[in-house]
Amino acid sequence: MGRIGNIARRTFLIGSAAVAGGVAFGTYAYKKPTDNPLLDHLGDGENAITPYVRIDAEGITLITPRADFGQGGYSTQAMLIAEELDVDPNTVRLDPGPPSAAYYNGAVMEEASPFPAYNTDPIAERARSFMHVPAKLLGLQITGGSSTVPDTFVKLRSAGCVARETLKQAAAQMAGVERSALKTQNGQVILPDGKTLGYVELAPLAATLDPVMDVPLRDESTWKYIRKNTTKRVDMIARCTGTFDYGIDLAFDDMVYASVRANPGIGGGVKSYDANAAQSMRGVQKIVPITSGVGVIADNTWRAMQAVNAIDITWDAPDYPASSDEIWQVLENAISDEYQDTRNRDDGDVETALADGDVLEAQYRIPFLAHAPLEPMNAIVKVSDDKCEIWTGTQIPGFVKDHAAKMTGLDADQVFVYTQPMGGSFGRRLEDTYVLQTIELAMAVKGTPVKMTWSREEDFAHDYPRCAQVSRARGKVANGQVDSLDLSIAAPSTAASWFGRIAMAPPGPDASLVAGAWDQPFAIPNYRVTGYRAPETVPVSSWRSVGASGNGFLHDCFLDELIHRAGADPLMERFRLCHHDVSRKVLETVGEMCNWNGHAIGENRGRGVAFTMAFSVPCAQVIEVTNTPDGIKIDNVWVAADVGKVVEPINLEAQIFGGVIFGLGHAMNCELTYDNHVPDQTNYHNYEGMRLYQCPQIMVKALENGAKIRGIGEPGVPPAAPALANAIFAATGQRIREMPLNKHINFV
Amino acid sequence: MNRIVKTVIFALGVMSVTPPLFAEGETDLVVTQPTTPISTERGMAAWDRIYAVASHPRCANCHVDARNIPIWTDDATGMDRVHGMHINAGESRLGAEGLMCATCHMTSTRPNTIEHAPPHAGIPWQLAPVEFLWHGQSSVNICEQMRNADRNGGRDGAGLVEHILHDVSLGGFIAWGFNPGAGREPAPGTLQEHLDDMITWTAAGMPCPND
Amino acid sequence: MKLNVNGNEHEVDVEPDMPLLWVLRDELNITGPKYGCGVAQCGACTVHIDGMAVRSCQMAAGDVDGDITTIEGLGTPNAMHAVQAAWVEHQVAQCGYCQSGQIMAAASFLDVNPEPTDDQIDRAMSANLCRCGTYPRIRAAIKTAAKNLSGA
Repeated sequence: MGRIGNIARRTFLIGSAAVAGGVAFGTYAYKKPTDNPLLDHLGDGENAITPYVRIDAEGITLITPRADFGQGGYSTQAMLIAEELDVDPNTVRLDPGPPSAAYYNGAVMEEASPFPAYNTDPIAERARSFMHVPAKLLGLQITGGSSTVPDTFVKLRSAGCVARETLKQAAAQMAGVERSALKTQNGQVILPDGKTLGYVELAPLAATLDPVMDVPLRDESTWKYIRKNTTKRVDMIARCTGTFDYGIDLAFDDMVYASVRANPGIGGGVKSYDANAAQSMRGVQKIVPITSGVGVIADNTWRAMQAVNAIDITWDAPDYPASSDEIWQVLENAISDEYQDTRNRDDGDVETALADGDVLEAQYRIPFLAHAPLEPMNAIVKVSDDKCEIWTGTQIPGFVKDHAAKMTGLDADQVFVYTQPMGGSFGRRLEDTYVLQTIELAMAVKGTPVKMTWSREEDFAHDYPRCAQVSRARGKVANGQVDSLDLSIAAPSTAASWFGRIAMAPPGPDASLVAGAWDQPFAIPNYRVTGYRAPETVPVSSWRSVGASGNGFLHDCFLDELIHRAGADPLMERFRLCHHDVSRKVLETVGEMCNWNGHAIGENRGRGVAFTMAFSVPCAQVIEVTNTPDGIKIDNVWVAADVGKVVEPINLEAQIFGGVIFGLGHAMNCELTYDNHVPDQTNYHNYEGMRLYQCPQIMVKALENGAKIRGIGEPGVPPAAPALANAIFAATGQRIREMPLNKHINFV
Repeated sequence: MNRIVKTVIFALGVMSVTPPLFAEGETDLVVTQPTTPISTERGMAAWDRIYAVASHPRCANCHVDARNIPIWTDDATGMDRVHGMHINAGESRLGAEGLMCATCHMTSTRPNTIEHAPPHAGIPWQLAPVEFLWHGQSSVNICEQMRNADRNGGRDGAGLVEHILHDVSLGGFIAWGFNPGAGREPAPGTLQEHLDDMITWTAAGMPCPND
Repeated sequence: MKLNVNGNEHEVDVEPDMPLLWVLRDELNITGPKYGCGVAQCGACTVHIDGMAVRSCQMAAGDVDGDITTIEGLGTPNAMHAVQAAWVEHQVAQCGYCQSGQIMAAASFLDVNPEPTDDQIDRAMSANLCRCGTYPRIRAAIKTAAKNLSGA
């Protein structure tokens, strides 16, 4: 093992290690080395392998531990390594690597700190840096929270840099020249005489050297891939030719196929079932009772689905309220002192300000929403007496590993999780029920890989949804300005529900309950945001942009109501209220992009503006709509967002397109409603989202005034829905205070 | 559709032997020709039932105007909306200009078993010709259209009856309307009753409510 | 029964009512066509039968009456169809799961309508669902593909 040097200005260490026929480089430790993911499975003569770059007889492999569910994570991570390593990211192999605490995600926890993102005081920064510590100790290898770029931007380039310099050192020794006289290009070291030595042939010697740590990262001016508007995703051709394998596409020769039905009342059990009809159907090999349900193992997915649907199952009722009406009542009742969770925003004196005078009051509602990624949940699992192998798309491979060990009775180091690329997720694969079900099936046919696929109907029934919320808003204007805003938000704790399932519900208040509302950079004289933690009803989970996805709507729409009541200009008043320079610039920019000249732009047309700062990214959107005789047409969307530094311009634009369309589509026509504990929505026919003809023109501008680099997978979502509702108000005078908006107005 | 056509000739009247009306397939429908004159009153009663069928969403939703947009109806609420997905069948009425109806609606005589799936039938999915406008139309309007050979595909009374039998022999849209499969409300009555009504109405001289 | 897929004859022993999608995926291991909804709401399973776009989740194997082309047969990474090339040029795919179907729908559409208007593109492509939000780039890529196809 090479010794570990310390890159002092960073909070992680880069190391190197010998592997069979080569060398590996990567981050090594935080304060002390975490368990190395592959140490326990090294063959004779192998040494410790570290995570991000592996060079051996098979070639160069870049390891990309953040999962890819469509946001381009693999490509981004490969590019960051390649920029320093001097390899072509299109020609090297990519491997998501095994789950490991060494791949902990520090940045994802920053959002949980009790300081709003615009606050960069030393104390706030120190609190945020401490949030990395629990992430590390828990080995939180999570992909989410728009954190891939912030978490890996320095780390991966450092790994590439140390690898390159160490390979150069090996070449220097081999050729008897100074390392400083060497250059690198496309996987090779170039000697002064023009001869080349390939990284692969240098790897065995490099493995014996101390990693070279004294070279700074390359200056931005020399970058070939990062920030270039020519940089394309490495997997695009495969994804456009049907040659890209998602988890659902993998197959093994001796594999069997399966599908399951579990109690759609989540948590409820099986009272009884009759599988006689299913048993005799063609291709059916085994009926397997699983937790809360029944599975069928067959020789073909369709046959398994047909058979599992032919099982007559009587379910137990789960222990949450049966209907949407009852659930709304739980949420409304939760706005009381008994349930108060946070009041991190309490400026001025709201009580006095709203004690009398012309107080505007409104109630807002946010519905449950499914993630419904297009690839339904699936996994392949093979269990034997001493090993459990899992091939699946997951954002939480470490938890999957722990859960699999517990379920099979194996040691954690006997469980192998091979993370697969995902056909969308939006937070869905932060849960792993589908994997655990597959493990149960695989334990019933030990030695045989079982590929389990949910039907779309199963997927809708079991989508731990984005939580519903109820909000009471009060406010007042004075002298043509917004003077007071008091927002009470009741919702169950997503963090407690989700983390309670995968590990243990965290103690203390849940910042996500009010994220996107309490932490906005506005100086309203009397300004209060209170979160009420409602009892959990339907189990809930994180959905693209999490708390801000709903809070952005109710905070910004109510602010818009007050601005209109004040007779102020929607954009100018937000600008006036905003005290954060980076955010002000975002508002100013979106105004310039659309030539803002007020919300009224002619009969039956209107513009709405919305602003949400989420995941430390201030994002402003202006939406322009036409009220046609058949309904609202969304014509144009202008988006400005500040990400600190744009890493991939082409992908950034795609992520903002995606965020806006995700936000608008669900705002228009999506909700989960409950009857008999089960969602009424069973497939995309009644949970449609946006279709192509409804898609507006979207103009995007990314700004770089923020001090830190930020991810953009989620921040485009929260302002989209309020900007649309505000635009509808501008065009029609109709103020819609609940989603989906099509409960009140049609869309074309 | 390997079922048997039984053309039954009642002995009460003097009738010629009816030759097979079609060759493509067979149904188990029974064609019962009237042996006595049909009163206008009985004819109108039959028409009212035909109108209930023609104006039912299973039938009317693809008998739409020149905008060429099929209609979806929520059976629970009776609310109409335009077919989702921005569908427009075009002047071809088959979707040939952009997206073929048959891309999703297969041509198949297999039963429609999947709820919320696009229905299929034994003939290529398409809108009825634009002059056969039924959706949103009054009883008078549909009646006038149906009895007018210039606007009904050149059919006389016998032709209308034969049209039903021919369609049914192929597992076409009329047959489908009465047996639309999972999750869809069928047109009122039975296919046999509809055939009987058409025979009765045409035998009565195709009376309309405004006559 | 016999199926011709991407120019190859396959003999398969399946129930005639098994959807073509599952014959392709689980019997023939041709996994470009994706399962997304099973009810023709998403279009991820789209293939061509004699050139026409068909939702393979709705097509019973026993009803197939022509030659099948899947995304793998439309073009390959080294020899992409003009629609695939345009998709890459515009960096359309995000997760990419729906894109097999989007591309197959677009290729069939452009075959019939080589110079589509914006409205026609919207009409032809709105029955394919994308959850990631790639629609702006799908529109742009279809225009590029149309241009390249007509120039060829």
